This record gives sequence, C-alpha cells and structure tokens, in this order.
Amino acid sequence: MLFEIFDPKAAPKPIGIDLGTTNSLVAYVRNEKPVAIADCNGEILLPSVVSYAHDDVVVGTPAARDAHEHPRETIVSVKRFMGRGADDPETRRLGPYEFDDTKMGESNVVRFRVHGKSLTPVEVSADILRELKTRAEDELGRVGSAVITVPAYFDDAQRQATKDAARLAGLDVLRLLNEPTAAALAYGLQSKQNGHFVVYDLGGGTFDVTVLLLEDGVFQVKSTGGDSQLGGDDMDRAIGSEVLEQLGWIAQDKAKPHSITKHPRLTPAVVRLVLDHARQMKHVLTAEAMVEAEVPLPDGGTRPVRITRARFDELITPLLERTGVASKRAMKDAGLGPAELDGVILVGGATRVPFVRAYVKKLFGKEPLADVDPDQVVALGAAVQADLLAGQGRADEVLLLDVIPLSLGIEVGGGVVDKILPRNTTIPTAARGSYTTQQDNQTGFEIHVVQGEREMVSDCRSLARFTLKGIPPMPSGLARLDVTFRVDADGILSVHAKETTTGLEQTVTVKPTYGLDDETVERMLTEALDFGEEDLTKRRIAEGRVEGQRIMLATQKSLGTDADLLEPGEHVAIQGAMRALDEACSGEDPRKIQSAIDDLDRATKAFAGRRMNRAIARAIGGRKVDDVDHEVEHAKGIEHAHDAPDLGR
Amino acid sequence: MDPFATLGFPPKYDVDLRAVEKTHRELSRALHPDRYASAGASERRAALNKAADVNEAWRIVRDPVRRAEALFALAGVEVGETKEPKPDAELLMEVLEKREALADAKAARDAAKVHALADEMMKREQQVEAALAHAATFDASLVTKLGEMRFYRRFVDEASSILEQLE
Repeated sequence: MLFEIFDPKAAPKPIGIDLGTTNSLVAYVRNEKPVAIADCNGEILLPSVVSYAHDDVVVGTPAARDAHEHPRETIVSVKRFMGRGADDPETRRLGPYEFDDTKMGESNVVRFRVHGKSLTPVEVSADILRELKTRAEDELGRVGSAVITVPAYFDDAQRQATKDAARLAGLDVLRLLNEPTAAALAYGLQSKQNGHFVVYDLGGGTFDVTVLLLEDGVFQVKSTGGDSQLGGDDMDRAIGSEVLEQLGWIAQDKAKPHSITKHPRLTPAVVRLVLDHARQMKHVLTAEAMVEAEVPLPDGGTRPVRITRARFDELITPLLERTGVASKRAMKDAGLGPAELDGVILVGGATRVPFVRAYVKKLFGKEPLADVDPDQVVALGAAVQADLLAGQGRADEVLLLDVIPLSLGIEVGGGVVDKILPRNTTIPTAARGSYTTQQDNQTGFEIHVVQGEREMVSDCRSLARFTLKGIPPMPSGLARLDVTFRVDADGILSVHAKETTTGLEQTVTVKPTYGLDDETVERMLTEALDFGEEDLTKRRIAEGRVEGQRIMLATQKSLGTDADLLEPGEHVAIQGAMRALDEACSGEDPRKIQSAIDDLDRATKAFAGRRMNRAIARAIGGRKVDDVDHEVEHAKGIEHAHDAPDLGR
Repeated sequence: MDPFATLGFPPKYDVDLRAVEKTHRELSRALHPDRYASAGASERRAALNKAADVNEAWRIVRDPVRRAEALFALAGVEVGETKEPKPDAELLMEVLEKREALADAKAARDAAKVHALADEMMKREQQVEAALAHAATFDASLVTKLGEMRFYRRFVDEASSILEQLE
C-alpha cells in the first residue's frame, strides 16, 4: 500500500464548497479533474445538521441522530434561516426551535436559544464550514482559499451572512459563486459547445432556475429566478403532513383552508421522526411504486402507513407548478422560447424523483442532462472555479458573467421604490440615482435600500437604512443627493451617498437590516477562536505577511510585463514602497504591515489604472501583444472616457 | 460616463448590437475581477471599477431608451421625465385611449386583444427607433421622441405582465 506524504512546502490547495440546506460537501481539483472529498467513513455528503446537545459541537450524521432526542438543540436546514429577521413570520414556521428576542441595539437576526446560549445562523453555518475545512485538511494537508456556492436567488443579506460564516470558520473566500453557474462549469460545457442552457436546481430548501448563454468560453447568465423557500424538504413536509393526517395526529379544518388542529400529544420529536420517515419514503418512491412505514400513534403503539407513487406525484404537483412559473419567467426574461434551448441541466437531490424529471422534460421540451451526480455537481463546479481563480487553471479559457437576481432600489416619496439596478444586471456593476430634498431646510436625508420587483416599499425586502446628516439648510428641491449602488463580483451591495451642491461628501456605512455588523462578526471571531489578545496579534501578523508577500509578488509581475507604462520617478517610488513592505513583514507589528501595504497600494494606483487601460485597448482593438507603442498612446487617449469616479474605498 | 467611448464605439443610435456585445465580452474577459483574484489591491480596485463601467455601458447601449438618453446627454440636452417638455396633447389622448383598451382587455381576460395592442405599440416604438437612427444630431427638437418611447415601452411591459397573469 502506498501512503501519500504531504509536502510541507506544497502550495495550499484551493477548495470548492457547496454549503447546502440538507447536505454540504467539499471538492478540489486533482489532475485537472474535480473530485469530492470523503470523510474517514467514505461519506461524501455531510448532512447540514449541527447538534449543540453535548459539550462539544457535533456536525453531520451523528448530529442528525441527535435530532430525535434533542430537537431543540439540533439545528437542521440552517441555510433557510440565513439572512432572515427574527420578526419574520417564516422564521417560526421553519422548525421546533426556541428563539431569543432581539434586544435593543442588536441587529435583527434570528437567534436560536440553545442551552441558555444564543446562536445566530451564521455561527451554526460556520460550524458546518469548519467541519468541511477539517475534512479537506485531512486529505490535502494545507487548504488554501475557498469558493463557496450560494443559490442564485439569494439576496444581499443571505450572501453577506454566508461570507460572515466563512470568515468565522477561518476560510479565505475567493468568491461566492451562484450554484447554477457552478453546475454548468462542472459539466465542462465550455469545451463542448456554444448555446443556451437552463439549469434547473431543486435542492433541499431552495429552487433556482437560470438561463445561461455559453459563447467562446464565456458563461453569461441571461436571467435567473426561483424561490428561496422551496425544495425537497417541502416534499418531505407534504408526505409528513399526509402521514400525520392518516394517523390522526393532525386534522385539516375543512371550513378554513390552511388551518390545522393538532393532537395535544404532538411533540416536536414526533414531528421530527415523521419527517425523517417521510424523507426515507421519498427516497424509496424514487425507485418503487409504493412505500410503507411504521409510525407511532397518538395513543401508543405503531401503525403502518402506505403511500403510492401516484399519491406522491399528486402531493408534489403544487410544488412543481411553482417551479414552472419561475422557469417560464426566467425564459421570458432571457427572451427565449423552448425551441431555442440547447440543453437542460439538473441539479439537486430532489431532481432524482422521476416525476420531477418528467415535469422538467415537459416544461422545456428537452430530455435533461443528468450524467454528473446532482448532489455533487455544484461542489465540483466550485472546485473548478477555485482552481481557476487561484491561478492554477487556465483562467483565460473560462469566464463567468453573473447577474443580480433581484432589483435594487431606494425608497422615495409615498413609499414607492425607485429602482437603481434592475434584476439580471451583469455584475460587477455600479449605478447612481439623484434625489432632492422634499422640505425647506431639511438637514438630513433618510436612505432606505430595498430589494425586490414590486413598486411599493412595503412589498419589497428591506436591506438597509441610513441617514445622511449635515445638509446645510436650503429651500426644498435645491439639495442634490447622489446615491451610488455598487455590486461586486460576489453579488454584494455597498451604498454611498453624497450631497453635491455644497460639495458635502459623506460616505455612509450601511447598517444591514438583517445581518450582523462588522464588530459583531469580529467579536464572534475572537470568542470562537478562544484567543487571547496575544494570539490574535500573532494571527494578524501571519495574515499580514501572507497578504504582503502576495501583493509584492503581484506588483513585481506587473512591473515586469508593463514597465513601459511607468512615468519617470514612479518606478523608484514603487520599489521604495516594496522595500518598506518587505521590512515591515519581517517585523512584529501588524499595524506597520497594514500601513506599508496601504502605501504600496497608493504608489501603484496610477500605474494600475494605466495597466487597466492597456487591457481595455487590447480588448477593444483585438490587437496583438507586440503592438505596444500604439497601445500606450491609446491607453492614455481613452483615459478620460474611463476615468469615472473611483468607487473604491 | 460616455458609454459609447467606454465600449469603443462611435456615438450614434444605429449601433450593431452583436458587435457591441462581442466587445463587451472581450472587455469582460480582460477586466473581470476573477482575472485579478491574486493581484494587488490597487489593481483589483481598478479592474473592479472598469468592469463595472463596462457592464453599465453595455446596459445603456443595448436598451433603446437608455441609449437615446445617453446620446441626448452627450449632446448637452437635459433628459429625465421631469426635465423634458411635455409630449403633445394628441399623443397623450391616444395613449390614454390605448390604456383604457388594455384595461378592458384585461378585465375581459382577452389575451388575443392584449397581444394585438402590445404588437401595435411595439411597431410604434420601432418607428421612433427608425427615426432616431436617421437623426443627424440629437438636439432638443427630438427630445419628445424620448417621452413617446417611454410610453410605448411601459405599455408593452404592462401588457406582458398582464399576459403572464392571464396564461
């Protein structure tokens, strides 16, 4: 038997993580092929279940076993709680948990009450990510940065929560990648054909549908839609309700639809048990025409319950019809008819259900592709992307152009939304809206950022609120307020506002409506690591050194390729800043390292801009690399057109 | 920002959208933040800003109304619904009538009628587009065309959301 020996000097391996509602998994690229990493028992899927019933946190299969005995201390499907407010009525519907009320001054996020401790979904997700990170380290030795997937339909708060969880788990996030895009990448379509593809992703808790155009190695998301509260769990719930009803645990009120009467002895443990049975029954029904299960009765004892494939198909039809509505809308947004489709990709364990496949085939008029395991396909795609981003793959062959899933806007008079960025806008992107004061001598301007398609603020989701203060008193309509929305390549929004008539400029920090602010995450990080001040400093030094080395290497490389773009004196200044950074890195003061990084950043700013203009000139002209003189000229000529206001920090 | 200059095309209404799309793709390939994942902060920021500009420029150029707005802005004509002169009364009356017809068709659940009305407005929009494509300059005399185009566009959007509900 051969043992693999870790090379301590080997570069850390980038990883891809699918942080799923029901299951999570991690993958990496080995010999140019993505592979999923199994645990010591050979299991690839890690159930996304975390138990806090014991002294140590338990994640995965053992935690799933805990769910019966300790339903309140075992968090199942935490992804559904990500980015949700404590006051969201959906929150209470989602399980047998106890919640803490939001205290004054705290962010409005869900807090599970477990053994007298308060836990946010971000912390629970971080525990799952930590488990996956450990698994990857066992296999690879050193783990590098990670690409983590999110449903395309995830809103800003949910994306931010996912990033916070990664930070808490000690993972460096290369990119948040939309799950459907990851799936397309896993199929390696880029090397096979051009055309329009639909990714139909019915996961444990979310449904996503995405239309992609693939042309010459560029995956462009044309449209995306879905339902962040619909998935395989709902199938389990549909079967579960049927079972509970058959056994007399619950009764539907005929007069009032959706209202049910519960048996007094119905406990969360019984519900959990029935839901577990329901899940197994669903799996059996994927292959069999009928399934039977022994389920406890209210007055003791058990009775077998029988469900046929036909009844199951009937139960899930309303769920599938909801996916049909979202799919048709996505096709319409992309301006496509079914005849123009070149392929359909299935993602998510729930797409194993034969009735789902039949439905998809009917919906799109095409036999769907399913040759990559639908449970693994997303993580495999994330691994491919991580490999590309970390510079180990051939980055120029593939590019993903993603979009924002929901329109972003701000509240204007009368509770109406002014859309600044419509849904399906390609990211990264930036856009500005101009507003004015409504009252004379108004000195503050409240900005309310919302997300959604509807016209009224009350029908959209609130993302953030903040007030721009200190506007000098003047008659109404004279002040001019520019609000800039910027969405980065992870789909995360930042907002800046300034009053332009007086030159008053304020960059405002956005306090998220549903999420944790930076200080809270920072505090959690310190607590989670159980670090004293000293350890934290050591960690900061180590992180600063890695960052410093990386930047020096990148700068060296840029200087090597584009030395002709340097202005007189600039080279000397950059070299000086690099030497200073090098010195700071061998010292022990993390603040000095950071300030040396900032200095080098300033010294290279103009040069970086010129390099970007050269890249633009090449792309526009399609010129060859040797046509340098003309490019320098052109790079400077279009400097004006591209000198939009700097949106960076 | 001049979206035409950003994409390297001459500022005119009649653009070859396929060619612009191709250029947008090439620019994205060169500027996308994914390509600068391991670069220094100044380069990452420069790439992010330019990539955002390029995406915004493409969003403007491919949209008939926004493209026209950008051309007026470049010619120094103020645009924006509150700053433009009111469209003429005859057009307003006609739009009002069409809107009533649309509301009636919606109430009667007459999808064919909704389709027909939307098609008619779409043709009108195309006529305006053709007129703009032949315009030598984008001066203030043409600016009412913009309001007209927005009317048609809103009408077609509304019709298509009605159709979504009816189907």
